Amino acid sequence: MDAADAPIHIEGLSKSFGAVQAVSDLSFQVDPGRVTGFLGPNGAGKSTTLRMLLGLVLKDSGEASFGGRSYEQLPHPSSQVGAVLEDASFHPGRSGRNHLRILATAGEHPSGRVDEVLEQVGLTDAADRRVKGYSMGMRQRLAIAAALLGDPEVLILDEPANGLDPPGIRWMRDLLRAQAGRGRAVLVSSHLLSEVAQSVDDVVIIAHGRLRASGPLEEVLGGSGGAVTRVRSADDQRLAAALREAGMTVDLQASGALIARGTAPAVVGEVAAAHGVALIELVGVSRSLEDAFFELTGGGE
Amino acid sequence: MSALLRAELIKLRTTRTFLALAGVAVGTSLLLALLVSLLTQPTEDSVLNDVFTSDTSGLFILILAVVGITGEWRHRTITSSLLAAPDRLRFLAAKTVAFAAAGLALSLLISVAVAITGIVVLSARDLPTPELGELVEQIGRNAIVAMLLGALGVGLGALVRNQVVAIVGVLVIALIVEPTVLALKPEVGRWGPFTLPNAVAGIPEEDAGFGGGVESPAAGVAAVAMLAWIGAFYAAGATLLRRRDLD
Repeated sequence: MDAADAPIHIEGLSKSFGAVQAVSDLSFQVDPGRVTGFLGPNGAGKSTTLRMLLGLVLKDSGEASFGGRSYEQLPHPSSQVGAVLEDASFHPGRSGRNHLRILATAGEHPSGRVDEVLEQVGLTDAADRRVKGYSMGMRQRLAIAAALLGDPEVLILDEPANGLDPPGIRWMRDLLRAQAGRGRAVLVSSHLLSEVAQSVDDVVIIAHGRLRASGPLEEVLGGSGGAVTRVRSADDQRLAAALREAGMTVDLQASGALIARGTAPAVVGEVAAAHGVALIELVGVSRSLEDAFFELTGGGE
Repeated sequence: MSALLRAELIKLRTTRTFLALAGVAVGTSLLLALLVSLLTQPTEDSVLNDVFTSDTSGLFILILAVVGITGEWRHRTITSSLLAAPDRLRFLAAKTVAFAAAGLALSLLISVAVAITGIVVLSARDLPTPELGELVEQIGRNAIVAMLLGALGVGLGALVRNQVVAIVGVLVIALIVEPTVLALKPEVGRWGPFTLPNAVAGIPEEDAGFGGGVESPAAGVAAVAMLAWIGAFYAAGATLLRRRDLD
């Protein structure tokens, strides 16, 4: 698939608000059948990026498209893209069902879809109550119901777990996985790293409006140098020399363990065996998403 | 466009604000018609203007339209509206047509109710009533005024995001600024967007607050001038809407 025809394709996207550069030369894509986590600290530019993608914020430069078309150019936008934005709002005096009726009518979706999505998000019993009586979690479910009305090929969710209780978060995770399982492309921004780590296939990490990393989760967790191996041996100095001779980057930790970067445990084991060094410990080290996030975004900035 | 229009009409019907204000419009119009029919002695020449122009739908649909468009910002429903209809000009056009249609429906309901009330009371008092043709023409004029003011309200509301500021601003211009200009400079004031509807409705100059013996424009000319105002406000509102970031 041509990158520009990907379900979501962003290329060189930039936006400033006055003197503040919110998003700068951002590029990434989201593939079908995968859940992509869009991560970054508060103020990193995630929501601005999503709003530019959806045509709600006007971009300064760059491209943001769905299958090669901007959101405004999509012939039936809500049938192709469903979006849940962080501050999803509703007229407080209108019922949840009527909110969906309006969107179904504007999007030319069958009226029966309203009941279907209400059932899907578990709001059937509350459908005829006015939205001002809804809890935050119910509002979030209503926003998700609106996004699902057109059974779209692409789902965009900005902090979808906000307001959901633990069962709701699990329901959300299952929903995202189910959508990806049906071949949908799902882009989900979140600050709940542990939640994202359980749900996503790919991640895009940004900070200060700039891309810091993107790719499959395992690849990003492996760090820029690839796999990391921790090894203890009967003769650390000799093993370190052997590993460096084999072209590996090796650090000796204060605890006495060696950290070999850019190589897998099996390769380290082969080198040790070739040099007759007895091993005491040999493990692959993977970063947590939180470690990767803080490393890539500059910690607590 | 028809889907967007239908969606806008559902929006209108599914909030209490519209139903409440429409109810007040019906109530005030009928009360006015009833009081004038009961308490005055209209002549054959004055009865049409005295009793059968008491349709207040124009004022209420104007306010409802301003509330409708500014409510999109107040309740932040503009985001979901523009996700469903990313072409902002079509969205604004659909809302404009929806409020014009709502004005038409509300005015027809009120004008017919006023006509029935007026004729029943006047006949009971053995006072003159208008010819059927005159009455139908007046109902048509009232309906056109309500349609124009509904459309005008959307254009005006699109210029100001703050709902309270928009409503107060419209009322100040309609009830204070324009009448003042009309009294002091009637040759200018007669072209104001809140004065022209009087000409469309056929309200005589002396009842419309004209000073200096200046005449109203003909009804057709006034309607065209109103359309020009609507076009100007729509263009200005659409330009602002297209440039705004929904952040």
